[in-house]
Amino acid sequence: MFDQNIEGAELFALPFGDIVPFFSVYTATLAAFVVVFILISAFDRPERQLNIVFGGDAYYAKEIKESDTRFSRFMAIACGCATLGAVVTGDVFNFTLFAVLVGITNIAIVASAGNRHVLNAAFQYGIVAMIATVPLFGSAAIILATTGTLSIWTLAGMGAVPLLAKALLILGVMGEGIAPLYIGKAEIIRAQGAPFVLMIHFSSLLLFLRVTEIVLVI
Amino acid sequence: MIDTFHTGMIAASLCIIIAFFSFLKETDDLHRLLLTDLASVMALFLIALVGTDLAEALILPGLVVTISKLMALAEIYLVKEGLQKNSPSRILDIEVLQSAPAILASILVIYGIILSGFSGGAVAGLGVIFYLVCKGHQERFELIETVSGYAWVAWIAAFFIILIFPSQWFLAVMIAGGAILIKVTAKLSLIGTMRGESDV
Repeated sequence: MFDQNIEGAELFALPFGDIVPFFSVYTATLAAFVVVFILISAFDRPERQLNIVFGGDAYYAKEIKESDTRFSRFMAIACGCATLGAVVTGDVFNFTLFAVLVGITNIAIVASAGNRHVLNAAFQYGIVAMIATVPLFGSAAIILATTGTLSIWTLAGMGAVPLLAKALLILGVMGEGIAPLYIGKAEIIRAQGAPFVLMIHFSSLLLFLRVTEIVLVI
Repeated sequence: MIDTFHTGMIAASLCIIIAFFSFLKETDDLHRLLLTDLASVMALFLIALVGTDLAEALILPGLVVTISKLMALAEIYLVKEGLQKNSPSRILDIEVLQSAPAILASILVIYGIILSGFSGGAVAGLGVIFYLVCKGHQERFELIETVSGYAWVAWIAAFFIILIFPSQWFLAVMIAGGAILIKVTAKLSLIGTMRGESDV
């Protein structure tokens, strides 16, 4: 499988029956990024929210207590863990499961802002993410039915996966990782605990990078 | 396997198209929330269609993530609509428990009568428990006591028939079977009334 251009050299492979967890240069790089971002979200201190007084040059800073950001910090770390799983897994179905988990944690990070408009945005985003499970699981089902396996290691380079399954996989990940495109973004970033919103963008980016790799390889 | 999969796939695609069409039509947030569950069931349906051991193993994790997502969405809906503080007056203040009991209870009772005997009484009693838990029991309590008493009498009478007129054993067995059915039903349905209301 490491004759594929995108993967780079093989760093590690654990033959564990059909499903082989592996690290290529590509996935190892993504995993290293995720670990760095999990550590950042675990140890950072959220900045104060600055509000500028309209019509003057005064501004004031809101005090943010540790307890206000506890939930979003936890969800950011959970999101990081789900992204790590999606990046390192060697199984298409596990990838879809982790993508759904990333969607759930993203909804939670958005919803932790507490503002009614943001909650509305989170609800609509959640519905999109929920519908996206249909193409995600659908693609996994089609891959399993046509090839008899879900292992990326086995499927690599075979070219046995139908185009429909690949298209559905990309469509599903688009549904789960659509948060950065969302209109409520400005409102979310203004809310307390803004640094944790970064995790939404980061996890979506990594999901897209990983799904690109999977689609090119299988 | 593939042919079966394709046939099922067409049926599933039809269901998915209907589900997505309902999303287009529906504007109420709560109804859309319910429809997302329909969509997730369709996703599991697609996996179940494959019909291998591996596919079977994939159903449970799929179900877990979709249900957790549904719970998260439901929680957001509650906060969004400010429904968290509306605590219901009864514990079981759920709309479906007002409308469903009559049908479900009657199905269970009829099935219990068909089964007859002790297990039939248990099934029918379950139906009555369900009805009483959902609907309340105020004036039905005495009725159950009376019926239970008559059932006991009929059961004893059946024993006397067996002892005194052994030739009529079939009639006695029928009476005893019917009586034990009613007796067990009545006993079990008392559980449905033990919810600490004032007159119990």
